Amino acid sequence: MNQAEILDQFVLEARECLETIGKRLLDVERQPDDKELLNDLFRQVHTLKGNCGLFEFKSLEHLVHAGEDVLDRVRHGSLAYNDQIADALLEAMDYTTQLIDEIETHGGLPAELDARSKALAQQLRSHLSEPSAAAPAVPQAVAVAAPRWPDWVSKLPAELRSRAGVAVRYRPEPECFFKGEDPWNLAHSTPGLIHLAVEPVAPWPAADAFDCYRCNLEMVLISDAPRAYVEEHFRYVPEQIEVLELEAAAVAVAAAPPAEAAAPAAVSALDRVTRPTIVRIWLDQRAVLARPGVSAGTVLSVRTSFAHLLTCWADAASTAAALQALQALPPGATPLAAWAQQYAPTAEAAVARGGVTNVSPPEQRLGAGVPTSAPAFAATPAPASESEGGAERTQRVLKVSQDKIDRLMSLIGEMVVAKNALPYLAVRAEEVFQQRELSREIKAQYSVINRIAEDMQHAIMQVRMLPVGTIFQRFARLVRDISKKLGKDVQLVIEGEETEADKNVIESLADPLIHIVRNSLDHGIETPDKRRAAGKPAHGTIRITARQESDRVILEIKDDGAGVNTDRVRAKAVERGLIPQDRAATLSEADAVQLVFLPGFSTADTISDLSGRGVGMDVVRSAVERVNGLVELSSVSGQGTTIRLSLPLSMAVTNVMMIEVAGRCFGVPMDLIVETVRVHAEDIHSFKQAQTTVLRGRIVPLRALHDLLALDAQPQANEEGELAVLVARLGNENVGLVVDNFHGTSDIILKPLEGVLAGLTGFAGTALMGDGSVLMILNPKELT
Amino acid sequence: MAIRYVRKSAQLEGRVTVEEAEGLSEWLKKHPKSTVNLGKCEHVHAAVLQVLMALRPAVKDLPGDRWLAVALAGLARA
Repeated sequence: MNQAEILDQFVLEARECLETIGKRLLDVERQPDDKELLNDLFRQVHTLKGNCGLFEFKSLEHLVHAGEDVLDRVRHGSLAYNDQIADALLEAMDYTTQLIDEIETHGGLPAELDARSKALAQQLRSHLSEPSAAAPAVPQAVAVAAPRWPDWVSKLPAELRSRAGVAVRYRPEPECFFKGEDPWNLAHSTPGLIHLAVEPVAPWPAADAFDCYRCNLEMVLISDAPRAYVEEHFRYVPEQIEVLELEAAAVAVAAAPPAEAAAPAAVSALDRVTRPTIVRIWLDQRAVLARPGVSAGTVLSVRTSFAHLLTCWADAASTAAALQALQALPPGATPLAAWAQQYAPTAEAAVARGGVTNVSPPEQRLGAGVPTSAPAFAATPAPASESEGGAERTQRVLKVSQDKIDRLMSLIGEMVVAKNALPYLAVRAEEVFQQRELSREIKAQYSVINRIAEDMQHAIMQVRMLPVGTIFQRFARLVRDISKKLGKDVQLVIEGEETEADKNVIESLADPLIHIVRNSLDHGIETPDKRRAAGKPAHGTIRITARQESDRVILEIKDDGAGVNTDRVRAKAVERGLIPQDRAATLSEADAVQLVFLPGFSTADTISDLSGRGVGMDVVRSAVERVNGLVELSSVSGQGTTIRLSLPLSMAVTNVMMIEVAGRCFGVPMDLIVETVRVHAEDIHSFKQAQTTVLRGRIVPLRALHDLLALDAQPQANEEGELAVLVARLGNENVGLVVDNFHGTSDIILKPLEGVLAGLTGFAGTALMGDGSVLMILNPKELT
Repeated sequence: MAIRYVRKSAQLEGRVTVEEAEGLSEWLKKHPKSTVNLGKCEHVHAAVLQVLMALRPAVKDLPGDRWLAVALAGLARA
């Protein structure tokens, strides 16, 4: 896996996280007391933050981290969730989405985005009213702007104060233990530590009132490592530390050198600090490699870590060979592990050069694998363990791009077609070569292959199935924002979101559904005052239900608003010249409602932000019909509107019935066929041009397919004088198509007409049959 | 277990983790006059550290770790 693929993976996972976060944020707003929801929200944000750490996206990480902090406080009940926080979080989330988009398109983040993410992070942090969090937000400013030392520095022993170094006051937040942090370990492992003192923040309470899991510690430490290293070390708790650079000039006056300052002069202070750390990280990384089932991403990040470590060793002569060997290494965990062992910098080397023997074993991990402290080096080691967790997850859930699935599906489609050639072969074996035995065997083989092909088809369908809920998620946000903007009080109820349908079907639905929901919000639901006047509850309800009915998915969007104003619809339709005045007046209420589906229809006089942009219900209808769906709209004035979408579960394979007309074969999609009957010529009644027959007490209009297709032939009756009639459902009525003969049904892969044929009406597409012939698939809706 | 509780003293050994903070806290509250022996202790979690700082048991041997020893130097010696 190369860097780009890891980035893709990151973008994919980040999007997933953001989607869940968006959903949870709204859930939490509705039920702020639900601990489970909050915890889940926090976990998602935490995961996102962890993923961000894999890359150097500082602005992204800062923002997400700020969000995490706010949520953590909310989660522990020390901060009340309110509208402002929700808005700030949502805004931050939107911006995060933008950043992710940016990363996806450009592979990185331009620096100018940093300012905005900082502002947003600041806005989030402003909700953390606790002084310890707010005050040290800008540590640099403290150092520069305050010539007087803060209290905590004055308390330091004078000889330490006068040394050059970095002083840090670290005040862990009270809940830090629940985040898996070990502040003592963090402070203790500061690079270049030369002083460390720990004190209670508040005086210790009486023994009975003491809560050992509420952190009441404050640590003051001095390090002689460069400031950047120290800040890097505390990078996960930037708001909990206060950093101050002690005056280097004071060194001249310094009296007592601390115990550890007895390092060999040849080695710089920097090396003395970093080298033992490098050795330790090296060991850590090797331990990571040694784990079973290391993912490619982990190997890559470990590899990068090694390269960084070599650079940091700052001894070009000894590392050049190792670096070269690393670059020449084949991918994979085993060669890398071998290399790491071969070129491992020894603790002795570090000691000989540095004089510090603090080479501790790899950090102990606590609870759910959260590092107890951040290792004191660039961002790589901690993310390595994060991506480890990610690898375990991907072993259970495989993420595949849709292209691959589509390719697999078209291959299976070809397989289905190829398999259909076997029955033809069997017939040939029997009729041409008089091999009955062989023919029977071919048929037996065919049935086996047929079963497998069907299973394969079924399996690939399952892979493409998505719960409908994936498109519902964005509605919660849409309804929240729009209803706020319009001053309406709207509650969104979603039912049956786990209903599954083909990915293409679901995706093609997203836009029409948004349009429908917007319409309901804008035109359907009334303002609270009007609703109260009409004797309805002040808050409106939009109910979206999804369910499966045999092989179709039914989606219902129902609002309890004012319903469609039929008078206005009639007037508008006439005004726009869509129907003549006299016809409009005679339309029934139910029919008048259907006028909204006419192309170019819109009741809005002014184009609002929400609807009325000319993208009307006709677009909704055509979008739904493109995936073989149906739209029905019913409305009761004053009680609300219901829009019903009925969609096929899948559109990959179409089951067609083959019919014969004037010696040619055509296919008709099975889902349109109600029944096939043979009607005696005497039972066909002619009235002027129109022919009808009576089936089970109902009149069914008959149309000869010969006429519809302009074929120069008459319907052929069989020996008993009966005509073959295919009864198809067109919209809400049944129509009988008179044909010459019925053939069997067949599963086909429908290929839409392309090129010059694309404009041809009356045909849904073509399909390749097993014997190599092309079958034209009729679209009866366009024919009649 | 990195803590062994014997009759009147608790022996902290090796790396004492956050899970043991509560146990130690309860034990020290129940046996206020007892002592802790940190001689073999390499590292304590911050939560354990604050238990020791808050409940102030008498300390038998200070830990080998320099900073930890400094932090706990204020406790009475047993």
